[in-house]
Amino acid sequence: MHLLQQCAIEKIHMVYVNLPNESRRQLSFYLAAEEYVARELPPNDYFFMWQVEPTVIFGRNQLLESEVDVEYCRRNGISMFRRKSGGGCVYADLSNIMFSYITPDSNVNFTFNRYMLMVEHVLRKLGLDARTTGRNDILIDGKKVSGNAFYHLHNRSIVHGTMLYDTDVEKMARATTPSDIKLKSKGVESVRQHVTTLNRYLDISIDEFLQFVRVNMCDSEILLAGDALERIEQIEKEYHTPEFIYGHNPAYSVCRSVRIEGVGELQLKLNIKNGVVRKATLSGDYFHVDDRVDAMLEQLQDAVYEESALINAVKDVDPSSVIMNLTKEKLEKLIKTFFDYGE
Amino acid sequence: MSKIVEGLYYAESHEYVKIEGEYGYVGITDYAQHELGNVVYVDMPDIDDEVEAGSDFGAVESVKAASDLISPVSGVVVEINEALADEPELVNADPYANWIIKVKLSDASEVENLMDAEAYKAAIGE
Repeated sequence: MHLLQQCAIEKIHMVYVNLPNESRRQLSFYLAAEEYVARELPPNDYFFMWQVEPTVIFGRNQLLESEVDVEYCRRNGISMFRRKSGGGCVYADLSNIMFSYITPDSNVNFTFNRYMLMVEHVLRKLGLDARTTGRNDILIDGKKVSGNAFYHLHNRSIVHGTMLYDTDVEKMARATTPSDIKLKSKGVESVRQHVTTLNRYLDISIDEFLQFVRVNMCDSEILLAGDALERIEQIEKEYHTPEFIYGHNPAYSVCRSVRIEGVGELQLKLNIKNGVVRKATLSGDYFHVDDRVDAMLEQLQDAVYEESALINAVKDVDPSSVIMNLTKEKLEKLIKTFFDYGE
Repeated sequence: MSKIVEGLYYAESHEYVKIEGEYGYVGITDYAQHELGNVVYVDMPDIDDEVEAGSDFGAVESVKAASDLISPVSGVVVEINEALADEPELVNADPYANWIIKVKLSDASEVENLMDAEAYKAAIGE
C-alpha cells in the first residue's frame, strides 16, 4: 500500500476530456461519453467531471423498484438511469460532482486503488482529512463524500464516482428509499451509509473546486466535438431503451394482500423477470368454488407487468366461478393494488 | 497461481470455451474470477439469443466491479447456467465447472483464433 501511495503521488499522465457545455445534458450522455473514450480513443488515462439535474442512477444488476422511490422521482422530476458499472444506487444533482476515469489498465484492484488514492490525495491537498475505505468510498469525518464503481469493458476500465459538494441530502434519501420495501430480488442491494458534503469543510466555490481538481489530476486536455459527439449520442441511445433501464432487472417477486368484502384475505404474488410475469400464486382464506385457481392464474403468465396488460390478461375469466364472491371488479381491484403507489 | 485447464480454448479477455461436439461451454477463467473477487451477480443472456465472437453477451458483477463478458465464439445460446442465478459465487468456487452459457456453434473454426492452455498461461504471465 505504501508503494501504491508513492506512485499515485508521482502524477501519471492524465488527459482531461472537455465536453462542450453549450447546454446541460442528461446523465446518459456522460455515461456514453465514458464509453466512447474507452472504446474509441487511444489507450491513455482520461479524466473528466460533470454535473446533472437531479437523477438517480442504479447499478447494473439492481432492481429499480427496490432501490428507488419511483413515484417520488416522477413527481419531482428526478430522472432515473441504469449504469453499466456494478454497485448500489446513487443520487446526483448539480452539486454532486461526478468523476469519470478511463484507463487501459485492466487489473481491477490495482486500478481502483491507484485512482482512489489520486482522488484522496487531491482532497488532502485542500486540507481535507479524506480517507479511502475498502468499499470504494472516500470518507471525511467517518462519513461518505464519494462512492465509486467500476465497469470493465474490452481492454479498458472505467471508474466513476460521486463527489458530494453541496447536495440536498434529504431529497437524496427520499429518492433512493423504495416505497415498497417488501420486494425480494436476486439482484444486488445497496449499502446505505451516512454522508456528508464538502462545502461543510471548504470555503471555496464549486467552480474553484472543479478547477483545483482538474489542475491537480490532469496534465493535458482534449476536446470532444463534431463526429465524436454524434458517436456519443449514438451510444447514449442504449441507456434510454426500456430493455436496458427495466429489462435488465433481475428476477423478483411482488406481493399484495387485500381484504375483500365477502371474499376474505387474498394474497397475490407475482414473480417477474424482464418486466414480464413468470408465475402468479394466490393464497388466503377464501372459499374455492372449484379447483381451477391455477388455471385462472395461468392467464397472468407471460403478461407484461403493467396494470392494463394484467387486467386484459384476465378479461375472459369469470373469477366468481373459481373463488366465491370474487367478482371481476374485485379481481381487478386486487391487480390495481400492485400499481397504486399512494402518496 | 491460477488454475488453467488443458484442452480448453482461451480468449485474451479471460473467457474460456470448452468444445463438445457442435456445442461450446463458455465461462470465465480462474484468473478472471480471482481478479474480480467475490461474484455477486451474473447477468446472463436469454436462451435463443445470438452471440458473436468478440462481442459482449452479459456481465459478471463482483463486490469490486462489473465486467463485460465477451464471447469467444459465435452461435446461439441453447442453455444458461441457471444455478448461477441463485448462487453466483459458484463462479469463484470453480469457474471451469460452472460455465455460464452453452452455445450452439455457428463456426467451429473460430476456436483457431483463441489460445490453448499453454499460450494463455504465458499471456497471464505465469
